[in-house]
Amino acid sequence: MDITIAGMLAVDGLTNGAIYALLGLATVMVFVVTRVIFIPQGEFVAFGALTLAMFIDHKVPGTVWLLLIMAFAVALQEGIGVLRSGATVKQFLKCTVKPLLIPVITAGFSIWLAPYDLPMWSMVSLSLALVTAMGPLLYRLAYQSLESATPLVLLIVSVGVHFALTGLALLFFGPEGFRNPAFWDERLQIGAVPINGQAVIIFVTALLFILALWYFFGNTLFGKALRATAVNRNGARLMGISTHTAGQLTFTLAAFIGALSGLLIGPTTTILYDSGFLIGLKGFVAAVIAGLASYPGALVVALGVGLVEAFSAFWASAFKEVIVFALILPALWLRSRHVTDDEEEH
Amino acid sequence: MKLKQTLVAFATFGAVSTAAWADINIGVNLSLTGGGAALGLPMQSMIKTFPQSIAGEKVNVIILDDASDPGKAAQNARRFVNQDKVDVIFGANLTPTTMAIGPIATEAKTVQISGAPGKDGEFVFILPQGFNVMAHAMMQHLKAKGVKTLGFIGYSDGYGEGWLKAMEPMLKEANIKLVGVERFARTDTSVTPQALKLVSANPDAVLVVASGSIAPMPEIALRDRGYKGLTYQTHGAASPDLMRIGGKAVEGTFLVSGPAIFADKLPDGHPSKPVSIDFAKKFKEATGSDKLSPFAGHAYDFIVVMEKAVPIALKKAKPGTESFRLALLDALNTMGRTVISHGVMNWSASDHWGYTNETGVMVVVKNGSFEVLK
Amino acid sequence: MGLLRRYYLWLVLAAIVLFATLPIPAFWVAQLNYIGLFALTCLGLVLLTGVAGLTSFGQAAFVGIGAYTTAWCALNLGWPPTLTLLLGVTLTGFSAWVIGRITLRLSGHYLPLATIAWGLSLYYLMGNLEALGKYDGLIGLNSLTLFGHEIGQGQGFFMVSWGLLWVATVALTFLLNSRPGRAIRSLKEGRQMAEAMGVDTFGYKVTIFVIAAVLASVAGWLMAYYQRAVNPSAFGLKWGIEYLFMVVVGGAGSLWGAWLGAGVVRVLDEQLQTWLPQLLGMSGSFESIIFGVMLVLMLKYRPDGLWSWVQQGIGKTERVCNWDDAKALAQRPKPAVGDVVLDVQKISKNFGGLVAVNGISFQVRAGQIVGLIGPNGAGKSTTFNLITGTLPLSSGEVYFGGQPVHGLHARDIAKRGLMRTFQHVKMIPEMSVLDNVAIGAHARSQGEVFGAILRRNRGEEKSIMAEAERQLKRVGLGDWMHEQAANLPMGQQRLMEIARALCADPTLLLLDEPAAGLRYLEKQELIHVLRQLQSEGMSILLVEHDMDLVMDVCESIVVMEFGTYLTQGRPDQVQADPKVRAAYLGTEH
Repeated sequence: MDITIAGMLAVDGLTNGAIYALLGLATVMVFVVTRVIFIPQGEFVAFGALTLAMFIDHKVPGTVWLLLIMAFAVALQEGIGVLRSGATVKQFLKCTVKPLLIPVITAGFSIWLAPYDLPMWSMVSLSLALVTAMGPLLYRLAYQSLESATPLVLLIVSVGVHFALTGLALLFFGPEGFRNPAFWDERLQIGAVPINGQAVIIFVTALLFILALWYFFGNTLFGKALRATAVNRNGARLMGISTHTAGQLTFTLAAFIGALSGLLIGPTTTILYDSGFLIGLKGFVAAVIAGLASYPGALVVALGVGLVEAFSAFWASAFKEVIVFALILPALWLRSRHVTDDEEEH
Repeated sequence: MKLKQTLVAFATFGAVSTAAWADINIGVNLSLTGGGAALGLPMQSMIKTFPQSIAGEKVNVIILDDASDPGKAAQNARRFVNQDKVDVIFGANLTPTTMAIGPIATEAKTVQISGAPGKDGEFVFILPQGFNVMAHAMMQHLKAKGVKTLGFIGYSDGYGEGWLKAMEPMLKEANIKLVGVERFARTDTSVTPQALKLVSANPDAVLVVASGSIAPMPEIALRDRGYKGLTYQTHGAASPDLMRIGGKAVEGTFLVSGPAIFADKLPDGHPSKPVSIDFAKKFKEATGSDKLSPFAGHAYDFIVVMEKAVPIALKKAKPGTESFRLALLDALNTMGRTVISHGVMNWSASDHWGYTNETGVMVVVKNGSFEVLK
Repeated sequence: MGLLRRYYLWLVLAAIVLFATLPIPAFWVAQLNYIGLFALTCLGLVLLTGVAGLTSFGQAAFVGIGAYTTAWCALNLGWPPTLTLLLGVTLTGFSAWVIGRITLRLSGHYLPLATIAWGLSLYYLMGNLEALGKYDGLIGLNSLTLFGHEIGQGQGFFMVSWGLLWVATVALTFLLNSRPGRAIRSLKEGRQMAEAMGVDTFGYKVTIFVIAAVLASVAGWLMAYYQRAVNPSAFGLKWGIEYLFMVVVGGAGSLWGAWLGAGVVRVLDEQLQTWLPQLLGMSGSFESIIFGVMLVLMLKYRPDGLWSWVQQGIGKTERVCNWDDAKALAQRPKPAVGDVVLDVQKISKNFGGLVAVNGISFQVRAGQIVGLIGPNGAGKSTTFNLITGTLPLSSGEVYFGGQPVHGLHARDIAKRGLMRTFQHVKMIPEMSVLDNVAIGAHARSQGEVFGAILRRNRGEEKSIMAEAERQLKRVGLGDWMHEQAANLPMGQQRLMEIARALCADPTLLLLDEPAAGLRYLEKQELIHVLRQLQSEGMSILLVEHDMDLVMDVCESIVVMEFGTYLTQGRPDQVQADPKVRAAYLGTEH
């Protein structure tokens, strides 16, 4: 193992680690605001990459139909809820039409534009828009009514959502894999180590997002309000913070980050309908080791996970996954020594 | 609680039971979800073109999904032999799943015709070419190209293992050194470290053992890291996905494959040419796609084999009986030379793989499509 | 119906024997065999998740260890099934013990994440070891033969697998209705209450974790002989999730939920596989989608699972009161009136830079009721927690009955006779009042897990129940014995906590705001009980905000402010003290 190879492994590891960091961040963020351990984060990754792939193929991506189904389900749910509590026609219309607006518009654009030869940036934007729109809808369908449940129950709900989304992904995208073209084809050199343009974009994006989230949650009023909803729901509501909006906004961000990660990682690997899970899981492992609380922590650990993965694959390729997931044990053990009993989770 | 459950079960069972005794029942177990779906779904499309009847007897085809899980494949096989009382089982399309069916089929004295390489047995026939047959064709090419050192990067599972075990003795015999053996899982998103290791060993050629849309990934990783030698792929990668995903990186790759997917590109004298062309036609009708799947070819071959063997067995016994199943076994063992899309099949009681060493066709990827090498 | 309820376990066994002998289509026998295997694994999961609140996605991995051990030993060493079972169970139990000791200290949601992690690593390990056949697994096992009889894969196997399932269910039923069973049930409510009653929570967590793993291992052993092949895909995360799914659907709160859940999910799975493709004309992923959606819907609308419906129909069995002849539990020697029972010397606690308690000292003598008061944020509850060992001291010493107890675990302090109640009532809502109170006797009794399963502790159990009934009558809750604890009004709940503390035969009772949220009459009842206890020689330390109650009942009052000792004295002295006035009302000017 010489410096060059070590360097290349490091770049590979850090590139993957940056993606894990993005996903780990999204996981931490979702947990901090809603107490949901969002296992299906990885599904957004696959959706993002595959949606773009289908646009490139001039086909209408399956995401459009999924989005429409979800939007109508939410409208139905809202409608029934409003009818039950006895409302005016105007209220009923408002409640059912509002959630439909953005999804229908985005879907409409996608269906209209799909067959044309679009420039990359517009295909990327459409893909992002489609997947991001699913975030708040998912929250309303699966989690909103369970806002007061324990994190354990929410975790199991996440598992159910994961099952459903994976199945839907297979349905809408088929079992074939796709590989998207890179955003930036350049090849750069740092010393003897080659780095391709895509890796640079990944790094920069990850870093920007981490800083942005850190600042947002730590220093802005809105961010703090979102954190408040996780600490004490009723208290936050009494202060005028809508927990529903908090949840929906967080999920929107999570979906956006997931889709973005999928678009970033698409060129470096073949993405299949179920590829997202393992990627999301590793980001998630990083978030957990960092205590599901700290953004910089999640970043550092995620980069670490990427590096460990790269070097283990080099030395013992068959046992790479064993090593990566077994590492969580000592990490959790170290973390458990700091756990106090003050807060009882029931 | 359980009594009620059973009563409901009885009722449903009675309502569902449709198989009349004279019908021929065929159990098909394929991976329609999970990692093997890319192989299983085109096969399913092909199986659905099974004729409604053979030699006057109605045919019922029951298709079940094993979700790429050997446990589920075993459950499906049990269901086929216990409940549906099938006369023959077609499946599976992955090595581990197909091996799970074998013992159950054998115990029930039902012929299993496998769509994936695996363990053959008294009742188990293998449709795809054996690793040895394909490896043989590849070895000839390697020797002809003067390759002295070879690197290997393949799946950690049965498919990768099978190729490795087939190649190793042949390589030793031909004095070609195996300088690196790297493995990866189907679900891996990056094989850069493995590629790095191989590139640093710098062999004359690298053999990639993978399938479907995953196959291009190791090649891309190798080329990205500056590998300049020859690359070889196996018959699992013989699908248009290789070029679709691999793009420029897979230009010039050598592949071994059965003749099925080359249709009219085959030389005129090749015995499988007419059958392969028919397969291409039927495939297009069934799926609307020009991109032939070699796995669907196996499904097509199953139909061909059945159309030949069943009439022979029908002369001896009625479907739905054990004697029919034994007669079918006998027919398959003795029907001799059968031309199918994937080559010339010659099953016998001692050989349930049935292909000769000439079956493997070497092709090269040129300008985004396969070109058959002379 | 009552007779049916009492002997339901035997009825189930009879049903199993019936099914094993009736002619049932082979297809349904195969289904039942699988259901039996799954139910066995789910049983362990119900114990872990439903009863003790420890969510685990890793049961599938333990099934794998059992299955692989069996297969490897049978194929490579030619061992008979009894031997492979023994080794499998030992190996799995040991791995569970190691993994449990490492991960079970984690709270709340960390544990399931850890189970996902090691479940995955075990899965990849099993799939990559040459000796275990990598992803293709091991094949070619013979079917089960026990003691010379070929069990096969039909109804004989059904008899064996469901027989084992029945035995396991009976064993767990016995376990859960015993002293360790109550301790296990208390795990769900968090560590504090259990430890304060003397329960070694970590020890019990590891124990049930190992029990669940052992059950999974037996299921793996059965699976290996049933499928006659072992493959890693049955032990991955997907299956770990599926087992949890079965438990959630069936009802995590009851052992029968495992049976029901495994059955429903399996049959549904099978039917979906057959009907959906015909219905929709295409096959594939619908199963996954429907299962996912079902799981979410179940949790939204029926989080207690299907068994709760059945339970509503059947009704609950009432406990039989059969302990009139019970021996009394051993009593603790009581201190003489006037002896110093509790001696607190300059205890302090800092949380980082915040000093919550700053050098407090006071004493409680035998037969005294001492009150601890102070404005909000004075550090009274923290002081309580320091004395009872719930929080570690930063400095200072505590002597109980002359013995140093600073630095001891809460449960060790409880064992010595220092019992407490809580500011927010901590109880096990689904259990009866009697059972809740019986937890208090945990420190005074010995019965452990094995003894409970083999029903060797029936005598001690009767003694505990008799004691619990006595204490309930003592605080005036005798009529509420069989009521579900959650149904009690607040006042009675607080009295129940006191009864529970009394069950431990304490020499000192620490009551944390016992009158909070009580109405006037309830407070009068409380005062009556406290006076009664005092007259019987009990020492009580009381934190309270209700000044009338404090001044009425206490003979000595300690006042705190900002974590510091302010003054101590008789009620009239404290009331007149200007420092106390200033602390509560601000200085006069």
